[in-house]
Amino acid sequence: MKRVPIKLKVNGQAYVFDAVPENKTLLSLIRDDIGLTGTKEGCAEGDCGACTVLLNGKTVDSCLVLAVEADGGEVLTIEGLSRDGNLHPIQQAFVDEGSVQCGYCIPGMIMSTYGLLQENPSPTDAEIKKGLEGNICRCTGYVRILNAVHKASEMMAKESK
Amino acid sequence: MPEHFVGKPIVRVDAAEKVTGTAIFGPDVVLSGMLYGKILRSPYAHAKIKSIDASRAWELWGVRAIVTGDDFPGILGGEAMKDLPFLAQGKVRYVGDPVVAVAAESLEIAEEAIKLIQVEYEEIPAVFDPREAMKESAPIVHENHHQYQHIPVMKPVPNSNIMTVSEFSKGDTDQGFAEADCVFEDTFYSHSIQHAPIELHSVVAQMTADGKYTVWVPNDGPHRLRKDLSDALKIPLTKIRVLSTYIGGGFGSKGGLKLEPVAVALAQKVNHRPVKIVNTREEEFSACVVKHATYLTVKTGIKKDGTITAREVTSIWDAGAYAEKSPTVCMQATAASAGPYKIPHVKLKGYCVYTNKVIAGAYRGYGVPQVTWAYESAMDVIARKMGWDPLEFRLKNILREGDENPTGQPVHSIGVEECLKKAADVIGWEKRKNAPAPAESYKKRGFGICCAAKNTKTPSGAAAVVLLNQDGTANVVTSTVEIGQGAKTIFTQIAAEVLGIPVEKVCVSNPDTDLSPYDASTTSSRATFHMGNAVKEAAEDIKKQLCNLAGEIMGCPGDDLIAEGGEVRPKDQAGLNKEPLPYKQIMMKKYGAGGTILGRGFYYPEVKTNGMWSAPSIFWMYCAHAAEVEVDTETGKVDIIKLVAAQDVGKPINPVTCLQQVEGGAIMGMGAAMSESLIFDNKGRMLNPTLHDYKLPTFMDLPDLESFIIDAPDQNGPFGAKGIGEIVVAPTMAALAAAIEDAVGVRIKEGPLSEEKVIAGLEKLESGQEAR
Repeated sequence: MKRVPIKLKVNGQAYVFDAVPENKTLLSLIRDDIGLTGTKEGCAEGDCGACTVLLNGKTVDSCLVLAVEADGGEVLTIEGLSRDGNLHPIQQAFVDEGSVQCGYCIPGMIMSTYGLLQENPSPTDAEIKKGLEGNICRCTGYVRILNAVHKASEMMAKESK
Repeated sequence: MPEHFVGKPIVRVDAAEKVTGTAIFGPDVVLSGMLYGKILRSPYAHAKIKSIDASRAWELWGVRAIVTGDDFPGILGGEAMKDLPFLAQGKVRYVGDPVVAVAAESLEIAEEAIKLIQVEYEEIPAVFDPREAMKESAPIVHENHHQYQHIPVMKPVPNSNIMTVSEFSKGDTDQGFAEADCVFEDTFYSHSIQHAPIELHSVVAQMTADGKYTVWVPNDGPHRLRKDLSDALKIPLTKIRVLSTYIGGGFGSKGGLKLEPVAVALAQKVNHRPVKIVNTREEEFSACVVKHATYLTVKTGIKKDGTITAREVTSIWDAGAYAEKSPTVCMQATAASAGPYKIPHVKLKGYCVYTNKVIAGAYRGYGVPQVTWAYESAMDVIARKMGWDPLEFRLKNILREGDENPTGQPVHSIGVEECLKKAADVIGWEKRKNAPAPAESYKKRGFGICCAAKNTKTPSGAAAVVLLNQDGTANVVTSTVEIGQGAKTIFTQIAAEVLGIPVEKVCVSNPDTDLSPYDASTTSSRATFHMGNAVKEAAEDIKKQLCNLAGEIMGCPGDDLIAEGGEVRPKDQAGLNKEPLPYKQIMMKKYGAGGTILGRGFYYPEVKTNGMWSAPSIFWMYCAHAAEVEVDTETGKVDIIKLVAAQDVGKPINPVTCLQQVEGGAIMGMGAAMSESLIFDNKGRMLNPTLHDYKLPTFMDLPDLESFIIDAPDQNGPFGAKGIGEIVVAPTMAALAAAIEDAVGVRIKEGPLSEEKVIAGLEKLESGQEAR
């Protein structure tokens, strides 16, 4: 397998890799090389959304993106959301609304919510469902996640005022 | 007034870790020097292994171990029946059976290595349907299976595929049917599905130089795993240490022996390095564990006034290639297979049968979703034929406080009637005939309502230790695993309530079998009830010790004192004029140089056996679901307009964690009913082992869902609480099938409730046949 050098920023911090195999996924780079295990693998083929991160401001399934495609890019993972020990409003809303059970899908769900609220700061029920349909949760039945997204939207609107 | 923590919607103690991505799950475990394992699996459903040639794989750089079944002759594992080799020995029994395992320096090398291993097989006849497998002419999956070690309640039938038969009877069903005005008999089929937790199965195992194995694993029964491995390897329990990670969803799949035996096998051969194995999603589906496909025949005798006189239920469970938990699934579900009804004459029989398919085992509800599907569908078939209101027919026969249930056990703490009434009220049962018709004339609206009852494994033990620290905080040590159910939060609340300290001062740890005491398993909806009782007892033990210590300081008997609100004070303040002593001060005065107070709790329910094959259940769970659907008569598509779930919780320790279970369960039940189904070809190969082809409910499938908790305090539960985690999925499919029949007259008797079946039923109706 051919190996290539890449540079990227993850959660604002620069990383330099001298020889990344061309077939390595961004998910593997994040988990295995950088050591950030908050981003999860659930299927490795883009069906479950557990590996969702933001690449250059857009949500992607990191299992479907090659590490080399992220060369020169900026990645945001779940570990990059909280600042100075304070939860991001989306994280806080998921805690407050009881949206977390086993928690395995939650990092991906929160990153998809982040991407959704960036594009649409006050989504309707239907827009939330559509925006998060690629993230599968097996525990919650989605009800409280829906509530959390609304709450996060309100919290973020207040913050930006 | 002391502050209360039980009964309050305390924020989950594990939430912050989980929203920040810092919670450690099985696949997140990384150790220095760690190797990666990969399994070569059988491509055949039933075949003899003629030869294995791994020479080319050995030539690959980085391969550190290759193991086969020959490396572990005669070693067999299994909780109920020891029939599971660590790797196939002599023959393979399903497509996916582990044959060879490799440990290598990287996952990529391990993946490459298994491609280079040549296995020669000789295919032999296979059997895939449990009814076929029961015939004398059927290929035998396990020769001489009756000679395997097994738990005493099992009754293997020699020279057959029947691994056990579970039977229970009460009264005389012949008499009951003779007394009946009408007798109904129907066969229902519950299809096979997969648990599909989003976290993949994984394990890291290491054997150190002292011959001790350490296993890092998201397994729902750390002590059970320790025992299973100890039995198989014939080494003492102390030679195995299980460290639990958080579990990213299990629903029954994350217990017993899964990847652990293979990891342990590799760990023996790699010079004390740790070995990690993680399933792929495809392995998760096709080579891990599934919910039993089950055939259930329900025969019911009724009087014209709606009274049930007798019921016989015969069930056939497709256990797949190895026993796993099938024998006890069959046993417990058979006991629950007549439903939460007052029936004087009952005969229940379950056949648990080997086939050449992927192993079936515990799935949320332990067989109860299957039996509920059958007996609740039977209730609706009867009510419809007799022209009765399905709800009234149920309420006419429903179990009430003090009644004897079909297994002969008097029932207490029974909220099933209230669950039915609540669900009916919210779905608008009374007014359903006046509900507005759908806007489109080709759509029809229908309503269904069903209930369920489930037992818990009894007896089973749970031990807890609570440690009071010098600063007045407390550590709670148990072997209950946090699998998403909220156990850590529940134990935090119970310990805080009993000790009278804020929840922030309580810390509940993840299990470590070297340090945390015995617990049977985090299954059977038993953690809140069993471990909750143990934690309560351990915390009470601390309070008693604190009173005695404070008594020494105050110069009075400990019995005159009371521990409350984080301090010890005289029970009668006027009679004994002493200043209250905070816990921290007691610790300082008694153990100034450092110390801890150890509280002990062990809960093991005392139950009387009454001649049954198994003890009665220490508590029963009850719930009801109601559904409103719109059926498109042109496409067969079923839109779920509304789902209502009402759950008897005993008394909630935390109403939010209760509702989390009820909501998630209803949607899981909906997926199991409508879209999830495992499809096999005629060679026993699974055709849809991906999340693309196996349809889990997504956000887009979320209907209007309303959930309720119903109080029916249990005298044996901690603060009146009961378990709920499994039954929450049980009645959904029957409720949805009833709603479809109410809408369009099509009675589906085989799951899933697909569009094709609705259309086929409508076509039969049009041609004047009975739609079934």
